[in-house]
Parts: sequence; C-alpha cells; structure tokens
Amino acid sequence: MNGLARATVRFRPASFAGTFVALFFAATVVTACGALLQTGITAHLPPVRYAHVPVVAVADQDAHVTTGHGDDRDTDSEPLTGTPRLSTALAGRIAARPGVAAAVPDVAFPVTASAAGAVEAGPLTGRDWSARLVADPRPGAAGPAAPHPGEVVLDSATARAAHVAPGGTLTLTTPDGTARYRVAGLADAGRYGSATVWFADAQAGALSGHPGRADAIAVLARPGTAVEALAAQVRAAAGKGVTVDTGDARGAAEQPQLGSAKEMLIALGGSFGGVATATAVFVVMGTVSLAIGQRSREIALLRAVGATPRQIRRTVATEALLVAPVAGAAGIGPGVLLARWWLRQLVDRGGVPHGVELDAGWIPMAVAVGAGLVSALLAGYLAARRPARARPGQALGEAAVERRRPGVVRTVLGVAAVVGGVVLAVVAAHVTGDDAASTALGVVFSLMVGAALLGPVVAWFTSTVLGLPLRAGGVPGMLAAANARAGARRLAAAVTPIALVTAFCGTLLCMQGSITHTAARQVRAGVLADQVIGSAGPGLPAAVADRAARVPGVDAAVGVVRGGALVREGGALDSLTVLGVSGNPARLGRAVDLDVRAGSPGALTGDGSTVAVDTLLAESAHVKLGGRLTLWLDDGTRIRPRVVAVYGRGLGLGQVLMPRAAVAAHTPAAYDTQVLVRDAAGADPVAVRHRLAALGVPGMTVTDRSGYRAQNDKDLELNAWANQVMAVVLGGFAAVAAANTLVMTVLDRRREVALLRLAGATRRQVLGMLRWEALLVALGGLLVGGAIAWVTLVPVARGMTGAAPYVPPGTALGIFFGAVALALGSTLVPARFLLGTRAAAAAGPRE
Amino acid sequence: MEKTTKAKTAAANPVESPAPAVELRDVRRRYGRGDAAVHALRGIDLTLPRGSFTAVMGPSGSGKSTFLQCAAGLDRPTAGSVLLAGEDITGLSENKLTKLRRTRIGFVFQSFNLLPSLTVQQNVLLPQRLAGHRPDRRRAAAVLAQVGLERHARRRPGELSGGQQQRVAIARALVTEPEVVFADEPTGALDTGTAREVLALLRRAVDGAGATVVMVTHDPVAASYAHRVVFLADGALAGELSAPDPAAVAERMVALAGRPAGTTGAVA
Repeated sequence: MNGLARATVRFRPASFAGTFVALFFAATVVTACGALLQTGITAHLPPVRYAHVPVVAVADQDAHVTTGHGDDRDTDSEPLTGTPRLSTALAGRIAARPGVAAAVPDVAFPVTASAAGAVEAGPLTGRDWSARLVADPRPGAAGPAAPHPGEVVLDSATARAAHVAPGGTLTLTTPDGTARYRVAGLADAGRYGSATVWFADAQAGALSGHPGRADAIAVLARPGTAVEALAAQVRAAAGKGVTVDTGDARGAAEQPQLGSAKEMLIALGGSFGGVATATAVFVVMGTVSLAIGQRSREIALLRAVGATPRQIRRTVATEALLVAPVAGAAGIGPGVLLARWWLRQLVDRGGVPHGVELDAGWIPMAVAVGAGLVSALLAGYLAARRPARARPGQALGEAAVERRRPGVVRTVLGVAAVVGGVVLAVVAAHVTGDDAASTALGVVFSLMVGAALLGPVVAWFTSTVLGLPLRAGGVPGMLAAANARAGARRLAAAVTPIALVTAFCGTLLCMQGSITHTAARQVRAGVLADQVIGSAGPGLPAAVADRAARVPGVDAAVGVVRGGALVREGGALDSLTVLGVSGNPARLGRAVDLDVRAGSPGALTGDGSTVAVDTLLAESAHVKLGGRLTLWLDDGTRIRPRVVAVYGRGLGLGQVLMPRAAVAAHTPAAYDTQVLVRDAAGADPVAVRHRLAALGVPGMTVTDRSGYRAQNDKDLELNAWANQVMAVVLGGFAAVAAANTLVMTVLDRRREVALLRLAGATRRQVLGMLRWEALLVALGGLLVGGAIAWVTLVPVARGMTGAAPYVPPGTALGIFFGAVALALGSTLVPARFLLGTRAAAAAGPRE
Repeated sequence: MEKTTKAKTAAANPVESPAPAVELRDVRRRYGRGDAAVHALRGIDLTLPRGSFTAVMGPSGSGKSTFLQCAAGLDRPTAGSVLLAGEDITGLSENKLTKLRRTRIGFVFQSFNLLPSLTVQQNVLLPQRLAGHRPDRRRAAAVLAQVGLERHARRRPGELSGGQQQRVAIARALVTEPEVVFADEPTGALDTGTAREVLALLRRAVDGAGATVVMVTHDPVAASYAHRVVFLADGALAGELSAPDPAAVAERMVALAGRPAGTTGAVA
C-alpha cells in the first residue's frame, strides 16, 4: 500500500494541496501559542538594580485563598493588583542578624520638579538616602554627605538638566505635596543612577505617601557570609508573608509586574492556545474529510479490485504520514515569527516588562507537528471508514447520490455539542474579566462542532430557505439552487468555515465593542463634572481637591484615586477596579452619578469598614446590601468591609467605591488621578477654568468633561488590543480554511463545469451560477456564525456589562462584506481557471 | 494455493462433473422498504457452467447491473444464495469477499476501470499486490501481450484511448486466472471496431484458457459472441437463447421491450 500512497501523492499533488495548506497554517498557529506558553512559564529577568545586592526581601506578591479541608484543600493564588510593601521595622530585625552587614529599606515614589527646569528634567524617582547603597554597595569614596530633612541630593545628570547646583533650591512635588528643597549635594549619575532625587531617610517615608513602609529590603552581606546562609538568616528574621529572593528571583522582585505578565502569557498560550489548537484540529479534519470524500470513486474501485477496508485505511494513513510532517515542519518558522511579533507588541504596550525574551523550544514545535499529524490520521480514518466498508456496487453507481439523512451517531453527537455549548454559555455569564474571552471562545467552538456535525441540517436550511429567491435569478440561479439541494455535503463543507470566521470574529470583536460601548455610555451618564483637572505627570497631590473646592464658582470638587483589588468569589480570586473618592461621600452625587440601586454612598466611612459595589460585582461575588466582601487591596492588605450601597455604573466608573482615605495609602503611587469639579449654578465655566489653572500645581491640565479617562486605560487598551489580535489570528486562520475549502470544491467540479459548457452554457452563465452558489454559501455561513456569536454574546455581555450585546456597525459591516468577498473570491478565481481550458478536453473520459 | 485445492478436489472426485462456475438460487434484491420498495431482482435461478460465455440482456430497468453485482459478490442479495464454484458466498464477510475478488473473480466495468495515478503495468498487477503476493511481472507482460498492449506498459491511463483502457482492464481481470470474469457493459463506450477486438479477447479467454465470462450488455452484436444469452425483464428471467445471432437477439429484445410491465416468462 506504500507504493500506492506514494504514487497517488506524487501523481496528483494538487489534490493534497488543500490538506497541506490546512496543516501548514494549523502548525503556524499552534507553534505561536505554544511558544508564548513556554515563554510565560520560563520567563525571568536578570536583576538590574539589585544586581549587587545578594539577598532581597519583598512582601509576598500573591494573594492566597484556601478552601476545603484535608485532601480537598485547594489554594488559589493570584498576583496582587499593585505592589505590596514591607514594614521598615523589618529592616531593623534583619540587621540584627550576624551575617548581615546592612539591611537597607528601598523606598521609591514619583516626583516632579517644577519651575524652569521641569521640562528638561523629565519624570524623577524619589528615594531614601540609604537606598544609594542598593545601586552601589561599595563604601563611598568621596561622596556627598547625607541630606537633612528639607534637603535633597540630586544625581549629576538631573542637576545639569535642571540648571541647579549644590546650594540652590528646587521646587519638588511629592505625593505629600509641593515644597521647596535645598540641594545639599550631587551624586555621580553613572554610579548611583540618574533621574533620581535622594531625600533624608527620616523624611522619605512620609513624603512617599506610605510612611513606615518600603518596597523592598536590600540585604548586604558581611564579608565571608555565603549567599544561601544569608538568605536563611533573613528568612528566619522575616517570618511569614515575606519572600526572600536570591539569584535570578531578584529580577522578579525588581519588576513585580513580571508575575502578572507571566500569568497573561500563560493564559494566552494556554487557554487561547487550547482553542486555537482545537480549531486547527477541527479545520484539518474537515479538509481531510473533504479531500477523501472527493476520492470516493477511486476508493470504490480499489474495493472492487480487492482492497480490504483495512488496506484502504492504511493507504489513507500513509498519505497523511507523507504530507503532514512536511506541512507541519514548514509551518514552524512562521509560527515562531508570529510569536516573536506578538511578544514584542505586548512589551511595547506595557503588558510585559522589557527584557523578557521569547523562549521557543522544541516542545511547542513537536506539539504543533504532532497535533497536525494526529488530526490528519484521525480524520483520514474516520472519513475513509464508510467508503472503505461500503459495498463497491453502490459506490460505483453512475448517479453518485449522497445519503439523504445523516447518520444517527453524527446527529446525536451534533445535538449534544450544541446543547453543551448552550449550557457552557449560561455558565459563561458568571465569568468576568480575563477569563471571559477564553470561555466565550470555548462556547463558540462547542457550538461550531455541533454545527459541523449537523452539517446536513445546515445544508438543508441554506439550500431550501435561502435558496428560495434564487429561482428568480434566471438560469444561473436555478442551477445554483439545484446544485445546493443535491450537493448537501459539499455545501455543508463550504458553509462551515465561513461560519467559523463569522463566529470567532463576531464574538471577539463584539464582546470588546460591548464593553467599550457600555463603559463609554456609563461615563457619559455618570460623570457630572463640568471641569476635570488631570495631570501630565504621575498625578495630583491630595491637597489639590480641597484647594479646588474653595475656588469661587465651584460647587463641589472630588478627587478620584484609581486602584485595583482582588475579591474573593467562592474559592477563587478575581481582580477588579477600585475608585477612591475624596471629600464627603454624601456630597459625591454632585460630581458623579453612580446610578445607585440600593443603599446610599453617604454611609461610607473612611476607615475601610464600608464599601459601595457595582451590581454585577455583587451578583458574581454573591453579596447583598449589608453583607460583607473580602478584598485584598493593591498592596495586599486584606479587609472585610460591609456593603452599604449598590450602584449600576461600575464598568465605566469603578467596580468598588471607597473613600480616598481607605484606599490611598495602599495604592502604588499615592497621587490622585484626577479631580472632578462641578461648577456652581450660574458660574461662568471659562472663568472657573482660569481660576483652577491658577492653582499652579506642576503638570496639571484642566479640561472639560471629556477629559475624564475611563477606568484603567492602559489595561483596557491592552485587553482591547489582545482581543483584536486573537480575532485576527483565529479569524484569519478560519478565513484561510474557508478559502481553501472553496477552492478545493470548485476545482473538483471540473467535469461538471465542462459538461455545462458542452450543454450550451456560456462562460458568463457558468460564472453566474457559481457566483450565486458562493453568495449562498456566504449567506449561510454568516447566518449560522452570526447565530452562534449571538448565543455566545448574550450571556457573556450580560455578565460583563449587565446589558444586551452591542454590535459596532463597523464590525458588523466589515464581517459581512469580508465573508462575501471571501466566498466570491475563493469561488470565482479557480472557476476562471477552470473555464480557461477547452470544454471538450475537460469533459472527456480521462479524469 | 487455491489452485491446488481445486486440482485436489477434481482429482479426488474424478467421476463427478465439476461444480458450475456460478450458481444463483432464488436470488432476490430489494431496495428500500414498504410501499417505496424497489424489487430489482425477483427470484433468479440460474446456473452458469464452467468455460461458458454468457451474455445477460434486457431492457433498461430490468435489473441487469444488480444481477451482475449480486453474482459477483459486490452486493449482498436480500434473499437467496449465490454459489461460486460450489461455495456459498452469500454469507461471507466483506473481508472474505474482498479476498475472493483478488484471485477468483475479475471484472471489467463500462468506464473508470483504472487508477489514474498508476501505470498500465501497475494497474494490471494491482490485485496481486493487494493480496500481498510478489508482483509477477512476466505474467503481467504476457497478459498485456494477449491484449496487444505490451508496448504501453509504462504509460498512464490518461495517455490511452478508451478502447485501450478497456483492454488494460481486461488484462487486469485475467491476470490472476480467475474462475469467473464479470463484465458490465464492457463495450458500451467503444466504437464497433474496438468493441469487436475486446469481445474477441473475451471469447479467446473462454475458448483458450477455459475462463468463464458473464457479460451484461445491451448490444445484440456483443451478445452474439456468447455461447448463451439470458434475458432479464422486471427483475426476473425471461427466456434464453443458445448460439445466438444478432438478428434473433435483437428480435427477442424488441419483443421484451414491447411487453407490458409485470408479466414474466418461464425459465427455459
């Protein structure tokens, strides 16, 4: 059978081109996702700042929740949304250990310099003076003396840029406020780092907005102490909740964002990769089934001449073994390129820290090639089963009529897949945030498998219902309608990939569109401010809101701090957005309309014991008015506040609302993000704006209502971009599969087209018939895919936005015209090629 | 291996006449169910002796092709039994039937007989390779010489004319020295001259090599090459003719075609 397989592949390579293309793109997509997964698992960063520090102690960067007892114990860990901090008192305990030469608390906060030098100086980092030892632990030869409170030491480069010399003064804005400082000395930028301002140790903590807390504690060793021994001593001194890092782990301490970046890469490579792999298998199986179905006559002849069903299957398997590895190997290169581009984009957009390199080992490649091979073999086996076992007499009949009714097994499985998909969709209503996209894709895939298995039903629907108006289309239309009715299997094979494209792109893009649309709508309705004070720098000090409230013509001014938190939902943790508001909560309604559904924000207290939540969050966390919620704030502080209000505009404004006092100390940078100002009745907005601008806060901008930035812009943008890339990757792959399938089916109709020509149809009439058929396929695919996308979107959109899905008109039109263009192009281009040959030659007895 | 068995049986029972090549006992074939059922064969009883050339004729819809497929083991009858050289093949599994097709049965169809991706020689040797035997190239060359195509051994079917393709198909059918060769309208698509060559080939296989040939045809001239013509109408036997000549055959066919549906004749 080997020889037969090789002969067939060599003689008719074109018939395997379709299978080759499908396997090639499948390998590309699977390799890319696998490479991202592997990168996520192995990503590490070498320490840069902590390179000279042997041991670094940081607070545990994950939150943990444990459920169950004994064998059932299950711990879910999730990276905290912000940066956890250590108490500086720990430095003292560590320093007491014998092997420790010094334990330096590392405090850092954003600082802006104002007045003349501000523009050239750029954003600065404020640090405590002892932290200079982190950059260079060697005892300073002739360095500047320590600054006193009220004094600072600048690095030489910044001093040059700001045109300031030792003895001069500088106005600096810190989270604590704006003040003038005397420059006590300069530190060598090359040795200690640039763009840095060192404050007195005693003052730095208060200025940072987090008094008594440090980002990390750098531990220096006494000469003769080994790193491991030192680490053990530090661990003993530190106790629970503190991670002691040595070696490469220090890089993770330096870049706490690495944890969440790794999680995102793993989710991308794992969950999305899973869906992509399943789709690849699905597409390969469909293509191989089609290819074998087109050879049923040949198989019947082999059976008649004496090939057993097993020999037929072995031939098919050998063909797969010849084609699949080559196609898989060819797809690996583009797959790695795709992964590399993807990672670079994520780094550029801030989702992944710089310095993370793509790690594409042999495992993703082996999986890609293996998956393609296995699916080709499996598809070949399944597709060849019936023709191999059928009695040759039936198969060789002149009229190759297809079975009217689908097999029982296939129908049952198809219905099961559809039901499973619907059930999964209902479950998906409770999934939020990061998992939503993956769950939605899972639903889409399940429904698509059902649609594929129920192909004959889909074909019947398309040909009968949609084909009705075709009768009016003249002879080409009538022929197209007849072909559609008679060639149900061919029609189903063509409709399925178009439905796949529509379902994937529609779901991902409309899901994103729904979220963006609802958030924008909520912001439009919820923000009542007439003026918005923003900042071009890291933020606004807390005092600005109070000062703005006292400006004449202003009715209310509310400062908002944006942060994140983790909430406990059952046994798992989920991240959410937090809005901290300054001022009297009872007067909050002047500047922000939350659409309060129950309770009242006026009952909020600043001690963190009370909270207002969004209704969707209340649903998913199973908490009602008066109930308690378990939250981990940005820095890991756990609180259990009582819910005193439930409101409706969480997507646009924030899922959890608390007074600023309860939140600010725990956010990474203790600045206000914006200040919302409501004008008094009858005040002149322009005049008020001038007066606000005159407040003179460095880096401030005053705009009207449109300046309000919706929640967590960077994250939202990253999510939106990620969804778009997923849509392009999956949708693109499905589009290639659709084009591939259509080209295969058209080229297989060489004889039929030739017969039509001989019977008297002109080229134009034949093309017209094929055009109608292509439109039918496109329409059928759009309807089925659209229905699947809708069934998926309704519960998911309800869970995420509380409203019906929003279909951006641009997206809908784009998908519609894209599908039509795809179907038309893939049908008419090979058709023109077919019609180029002389009719008589093509219709002859030679196949 | 099967040949030695046959020889042994023949040697062990020298007095008994050899079993007929093909025997059909009350073979029925029904498609569909209930009211919509189509009765393609309604109880056929027929014996075809060894070394005979039988033509099966009848108007369209009479069940000729179904008869051939049931007799050749390509299709399973709804009722009745088919015996090949005395062995009942009706109940055999698909695998066993397949093995029969490799060595003991050969056939030729009206068209699409050859695998387009294999050369002429590979097509002829296909049944042997499927059986797992080493391909006997000399035998293939001999059979190709018999059909006059020894020089085309390395060509592909696409490069041959229709008649040449049919001759290759016959070569393949004869290469394993089968007990019976079934042919379904082998000359249907050929011109008279080529048809005559093909029919002569088949007759030579019967007279020279002792093969048994069963041929379905609608052409009275083709039927005249056979020893006997059996007529089918409405799924039942409707008479036969020995030592046929084209005119007599044609006359019978016209008479059959003119008969109203539902009446059957007795088996001669």
